[in-house]
Amino acid sequence: MLSTFLSQVVNGLILGSLIGLIALGYTMVYGIIQLINFAHGEIFMVGSYGGLAMFTYLLPTAIQNQWWFALPLLLIAGAAIAVVVAVLMERFAYRPLRNAPRLAPLITALGVSVALQEAVRVFYPNATAAVPFPKVFVEGTLAIPIGDGIVPIRYTGMLIIVVSLLLAFALNTFVNNSRMGRAMRATSQDRDVARLMGINPDRVIVLTFVLGAALAGVAGILYGADLGLININIGLQNGLFAFTAAVLGGIGNIKGAVAGGLVIGLVKTLGGQYLPGGTPYDYVWIFVVLIAVLVFRPQGFFGETERVRA
Amino acid sequence: MTTIEKPRPAAVPEPTGRLAGLAPHARTLRVLGGVLTVVGTYLPWATFVLNDGPYPEQSTLEFFTVPYGVTGFRLHLLLFGIAAIVLALAAVPAKGRMIRALGVGVIAISVVNGLYIVGEGGGLGAITVADGVAFGAIVALIGGVLLVVGANAGGIEPQPVWNWRLNPWVERALLVVVVVVLLLLVAAVLTSGGQGGSGYAGGVFLSFLAAVGAAIAALSASGLLAWVTALTERHRLYSVALLLAAALLLPLTSAGTEYWMTVAATIGVYAATAIGLNIVVGLAGLLDLGYVAFLGIGAFVAANLSGAAASTIGITLPFPLVMVIAAIIAGIFGAIVGSPTLRVRGDYLAIVTLAFGEIFVRSAQNNIGGLTGGSNAIPNIPPVSLFGTDFNEGVEIGALELPPGFLYYVLIVLIISAVMVVFANLKFSRLGRAWIAIREDEDAARAMGIRTGPIKILAFLIGAMLAGLAGAFYAHKLGTVSYESFRFLESVTLLAAVILGGMGTIPGAVLGASVLFVLPEKLREFSEYRLLLFGIALVLIMRFRPQGIVPDAHRRAELAPETDPAIVAAEEKVAAEAKGEKS
Amino acid sequence: MTDAILNATGVTMRFGGLTALNDVSFSLTEGEVIGLIGPNGAGKTTLFNCLTGLYSPTAGEVALRGKQLPEDPAKVTELGVARTFQNIRLFPSMTAEENVLVGRHCRMKQSPFSSLLHGPGFRRSEAEALTRSAELLEFVGLTRFSDELARNLPYGDQRRLEIARALATDPSVLLLDEPTAGMNAQETEATRRLILSIRELGVSVVVIEHDTKFIFTLCDRVLVLVQGELLVEGTPDEVRGDPRVVEAYLGAPPEEVEAQIHAGEQTP
Repeated sequence: MLSTFLSQVVNGLILGSLIGLIALGYTMVYGIIQLINFAHGEIFMVGSYGGLAMFTYLLPTAIQNQWWFALPLLLIAGAAIAVVVAVLMERFAYRPLRNAPRLAPLITALGVSVALQEAVRVFYPNATAAVPFPKVFVEGTLAIPIGDGIVPIRYTGMLIIVVSLLLAFALNTFVNNSRMGRAMRATSQDRDVARLMGINPDRVIVLTFVLGAALAGVAGILYGADLGLININIGLQNGLFAFTAAVLGGIGNIKGAVAGGLVIGLVKTLGGQYLPGGTPYDYVWIFVVLIAVLVFRPQGFFGETERVRA
Repeated sequence: MTTIEKPRPAAVPEPTGRLAGLAPHARTLRVLGGVLTVVGTYLPWATFVLNDGPYPEQSTLEFFTVPYGVTGFRLHLLLFGIAAIVLALAAVPAKGRMIRALGVGVIAISVVNGLYIVGEGGGLGAITVADGVAFGAIVALIGGVLLVVGANAGGIEPQPVWNWRLNPWVERALLVVVVVVLLLLVAAVLTSGGQGGSGYAGGVFLSFLAAVGAAIAALSASGLLAWVTALTERHRLYSVALLLAAALLLPLTSAGTEYWMTVAATIGVYAATAIGLNIVVGLAGLLDLGYVAFLGIGAFVAANLSGAAASTIGITLPFPLVMVIAAIIAGIFGAIVGSPTLRVRGDYLAIVTLAFGEIFVRSAQNNIGGLTGGSNAIPNIPPVSLFGTDFNEGVEIGALELPPGFLYYVLIVLIISAVMVVFANLKFSRLGRAWIAIREDEDAARAMGIRTGPIKILAFLIGAMLAGLAGAFYAHKLGTVSYESFRFLESVTLLAAVILGGMGTIPGAVLGASVLFVLPEKLREFSEYRLLLFGIALVLIMRFRPQGIVPDAHRRAELAPETDPAIVAAEEKVAAEAKGEKS
Repeated sequence: MTDAILNATGVTMRFGGLTALNDVSFSLTEGEVIGLIGPNGAGKTTLFNCLTGLYSPTAGEVALRGKQLPEDPAKVTELGVARTFQNIRLFPSMTAEENVLVGRHCRMKQSPFSSLLHGPGFRRSEAEALTRSAELLEFVGLTRFSDELARNLPYGDQRRLEIARALATDPSVLLLDEPTAGMNAQETEATRRLILSIRELGVSVVVIEHDTKFIFTLCDRVLVLVQGELLVEGTPDEVRGDPRVVEAYLGAPPEEVEAQIHAGEQTP
């Protein structure tokens, strides 16, 4: 049925733009220090919980209902907490291993990932189960009748698509046109030469983590606001999806990451709808895509140049 | 007993940095540290009877009732203190290194016991002067710090090398003693503090572990451990047989209860799996983040062939055959998962394996093909039964009564032994060298005529077979197989076991698995923080000891920084020889 | 040529728009030592990569004893073409002996089962490989470093170990990529003698080297590669006298090049 198909497309695009937002962090960090920052998904999760904590414990009840005030606050809080955690992580876990063999930072990233997830589970009140997230943005759906059915579009979903695309566009402009952006690109090409050109690679790397984490934090808030529930496992799951998206788009490629995210979102919703096994297997299809891309086209589908992989 | 090669006495490095100024007082500091440790031992450690009863290791003011009568951690401290004083005054090679090890041990013991007394005994009042004079912990801690500072101030010597050769039979007898001591030590560590989870049990265990660890570190610093290792290499088969016998004798020690047999069997499953993973990661250098899936495949295969009511295949096969089938099926999946290695390298490969692992978990969760039971799991798998004996029952051999679980323990010991033989044989063969060559430089390996593709897949295949074997045992031992046991975190844990123990080594994988599975049993009061601590530990290991507890001689520099003293020493040696050549 | 062992015909290699090798043809005679010289970026190492199956040439073919070489480096090595690398690529965490044993890999008759079971067949093949490795280590003069990790070896000895490792594959053609780079005069001379004794073993050798003096005193024939094209081919004397070489080589002022090229004449 057309309406079912279109509903799933809409759902896929909503999920996909969120995943694309997270994927930007993966793709930038990998582009600069060739690290699969495994803990990036947990940064997303931490941003979500951080924003929730701010909302629940700091925001006066009177303001909580004013979405035009509460939502920006939430987004800023989520991004800020994600950034703080990411900067600490870079400074104390990754930076000491900058010149270590490649296995070491990857395993460290796994450790950070486990630690972050567990830290939230242990220290956040009632985090062992799913926690309700305030639906601060206008609840409800826009129902578009198509054929003999309707295609519902959640307002939060629209918000997600708009914010994600805006942020990705802003990031792309920043990286391509600003002085710091040039420094980032130079560092990703050759860190040593960049250093000779007077660029401080440490600062550039921190900036990369900051940008990625801020976007992940925003994604965390949007995710919560859309679903109304968050749990501690959202990081690992969506992190893996986002990583897939980043690879799909060609690692290091900003536009590619967003496009990859959209593809992944569609694979999940349409795969769950139409492929054998139904929804329980929608995750499986994403991982199948991941494997296929890594094996047959590791440079991604939007990659400008083929990176020689060590 | 003759020393052929005396350790170089001139090789004491100059202390640098802030401690340089303390160098003239090094000996004084060391002696003082030892004395304070002894004094700390005899001071009371708690001012009152603690909430849960007296601290089990006689820490109250018993000095006046039982002079010199110290037991438990205070005995360890006393011995360490005296040893430090003796070492500081005697002319022993590498004494700085040994004293440093002892000092770290003293610090660890005092901190652990101090914290537990405070935590369990109701606050800081338990060890401070507030309620009396119970500052044993503080004095011992200061003693430990002085020992470490003194050791560093005087310079840390390189580890001496002993080349004693004795009569072969004396050497063999010595090895028996070493192995018996090892056996008793393992039993003592396992049982210290009881089964954990209550009151001071965790503290007693940690304290004992610290004491044993420090003692071993000190022995290692003296070079004696390396000498014993060399001894075992001279009598390789003999030592292997001794160790096997010792492992089989563990049930006769204090650890021979049903509880510990079960814990040991569980550790054994993960140790065997970790050794399999070690082939893939440690030897061939291929990072596998979904490895636990092969354990799962083996377990599900065995569950389906066990005659359990929930299995959809109505066949029941004898256990040995099931093990073989489980291994083969896991091996086939291993080859499939490994086939991307033909095209994918490095951390991309790690992600591919992770994705395969996730696909396995998701499929098992959804009861794929009716083979995994989904969220209901496959329960009620009957125990292994051979020669009319169910393996979950106790055994009586003559007057000897062995606890239930003993047979499973024996079985897993045999499985691990077989797995170890596989690993060792492969490592020192054409195939093993090819794996290591691929790990070191894949292009160069190909240029040397190694067809890397099939050989990498073979690593996955063999590793997966070993995990499948362990999985078959696991299914019967636990009686229930659920997809939940094979999640991503389990793969990370296995990887951590391999890394913690030391990549590419056999004792490493076993030791790593033991640490990662014994600690949670013992420290159940921290079970809430188990995974948090685990994650942090992973980060810290990568930062401070990436080569693991038992580094592979070959691997050392692979993950370790270049400043490893052993490497520096080796480089110096080579440079010196090269110089000698030229002149 | 009838006794040619290695034949390259029209080997061309393009990377995207860049032509690294253009129509290079040469043949290597049994027991011959050929020198390959040329300025940086002339395509010398690229040619080696084409000869060993690491690259598959865009056009042209390479044949060993009339049989075209496969595109898999491992199979090329099995057929009898071994190489060393410009930037030493030993297995750093393996001992010198193990490095050579790895070189023995494709000549060892030892199946995975034999590796697993350590039966009599295993012991025989290991013993054979160990003997051969010991011989080769002695041949290059590294016996005393047998149990030393490769990465701990002095630089020059690492290059020698790489040669021993390549020889362990029982090659009929040995390709040496800058075997004396970074060596002092004494070590260079030792390497020259080593290559000559390798020829005594009946192995044909191709040497890439920047040190023209080294090349002219060592080789039977010299190929000059400039910008991916084979400029001159001939005996050391012919090449030395060729004005095109003087003109094209290095792009340095002619007198300087002349001086450098003729420097070789003083040494016997």
